[in-house]
Amino acid sequence: MRLELAEFPVTQVKLEGKFSYHSGTLEVDGGEIKSLVLQDMRIADVELAVVVPGEKVRVTGIRDVVEPRVKVNGKGQVFPGTLSPVAPVGEGRTHRLPGMAVVVSAEYEGTIRAGSAVQRSAMLDMWGPGAEASRFSSRVNLVLVLRLVKGLSEIEAHTAIQRAEYAVAKRLAETTTGVKPQRVESYEFGRKKSKLPRVVLIQGCLTDSHHPHSGLSYYGLPVRDSLATLVHPNELLDGAVTGDTTRAMAPFPTTWDWQNHPLVLGLYEEHGRNLNLVGVILERIRFETHLGKEVIAHNTAQLAATLGADGALITWTFSGNCFVDVMLTIRACEQRGIKTVLVTYEYGGKDGVDTPLLYYVPEAKAIVSTGSRDRWIELPTPERVVGPNERIQLFSYPGAPVVSAWDSVTLDARDLIIGGVDIWGGQSSTCRAY
Amino acid sequence: MISKEIDRVGLAVALISAMYPLVQQVGASRIVKGVRIPHPCGDPSLPPELDLRLRREIVETALKALQSEVKGPSLFLPNMAVAA
Repeated sequence: MRLELAEFPVTQVKLEGKFSYHSGTLEVDGGEIKSLVLQDMRIADVELAVVVPGEKVRVTGIRDVVEPRVKVNGKGQVFPGTLSPVAPVGEGRTHRLPGMAVVVSAEYEGTIRAGSAVQRSAMLDMWGPGAEASRFSSRVNLVLVLRLVKGLSEIEAHTAIQRAEYAVAKRLAETTTGVKPQRVESYEFGRKKSKLPRVVLIQGCLTDSHHPHSGLSYYGLPVRDSLATLVHPNELLDGAVTGDTTRAMAPFPTTWDWQNHPLVLGLYEEHGRNLNLVGVILERIRFETHLGKEVIAHNTAQLAATLGADGALITWTFSGNCFVDVMLTIRACEQRGIKTVLVTYEYGGKDGVDTPLLYYVPEAKAIVSTGSRDRWIELPTPERVVGPNERIQLFSYPGAPVVSAWDSVTLDARDLIIGGVDIWGGQSSTCRAY
Repeated sequence: MISKEIDRVGLAVALISAMYPLVQQVGASRIVKGVRIPHPCGDPSLPPELDLRLRREIVETALKALQSEVKGPSLFLPNMAVAA
């Protein structure tokens, strides 16, 4: 299965005019984008804005980030099961627009008002310390500001937001059909025999089986109490794995993260040189008994062993007790002779002196830290605010304090900044040892 | 952490938790295995009379644990058969 990603880098987005892509400039027909979004009766209104790196602008109410892509060759279309029919994607040619992203923001009160399923949105500063903290501040962002009709359930709101952002992302990428790409990158597994070590990526995924959306979808189907599942990395590149747009927080991956998974891309880069990539295992984590955690660890390691893996790169999503599942998976792999490297962020508290990890096993000998999730951050006053509301809710419980988006904000942790936690090592932080 | 502080001032303490290996690692002294992470002290999926028996069994195990001398983290298992 060979997928070519043809690159059409964007350095400038203009909202007036007809759709076109020409040497880095993307012209967008704002009127057509609006009518495309408003085809969905669950969306009452939409506004468009462009924000650029370095600009003193704050975006509020963010639900997701997506990179514009379209398939021009091969079976199916991008975002199978969510935007387009279910078809075996990951083959042929897909156009992508690096250098820009579509950021979708939406006001949504939610029918669930408290607890772990409550709706969440995040913010993004395009300048200053907030920009430094996030991987989404270095590109030109086209922001969709959605107003949803009142009274939608969580799953309806999610579907409306997701459909809108994906339809727009695909429409933007369609401007490049017939245009010569700046670069083409190929992604393919070698079938030829190789003596290189066989490496699998184990992607732990927190899913909440009792939430309206579990937090992880495969071809649009929410994954709930699943056992480990083997997927082709090219499926990720074509948007077959997505999340829940009513719960955007820094420790959750966005669609952009699934499309640009840094460990998938890194393993592909080494494929055929230093290692042999053999696949991606999606491991559901957050089982509610210790037995469940032991079983998923065993099942995942068994699948990796069946693939003949010599090594496994292990990472995860979100937070909490599901990290026990991750650590037990490391143990189960090591017990089978599969060498492991864990890629994870640390806690540490706002001053960095608390326990960095929730749980550990002695078998976890190789860990790559992607930095802290917890460190406090001060965000200065913006000159412009884009988004569905001009206030920021600091916590999710009912009646939690709100601050004006126009003010400076002090955060105890990075959760409220989209891309504020380096979940999979895609950012370029360095550390100093004392 | 709270349980360790209670220990430190010399009061007997038992901690009911479904994540007992994690609690062992943190160093709690008397650990009672709970049902599930969202509901360690009972099981709302059981009929009320069976849930009551289960809850009593867990609490009685915790009371036995409180009366036991322990050296280091010790696990006490209530007599229960609960699905994962």
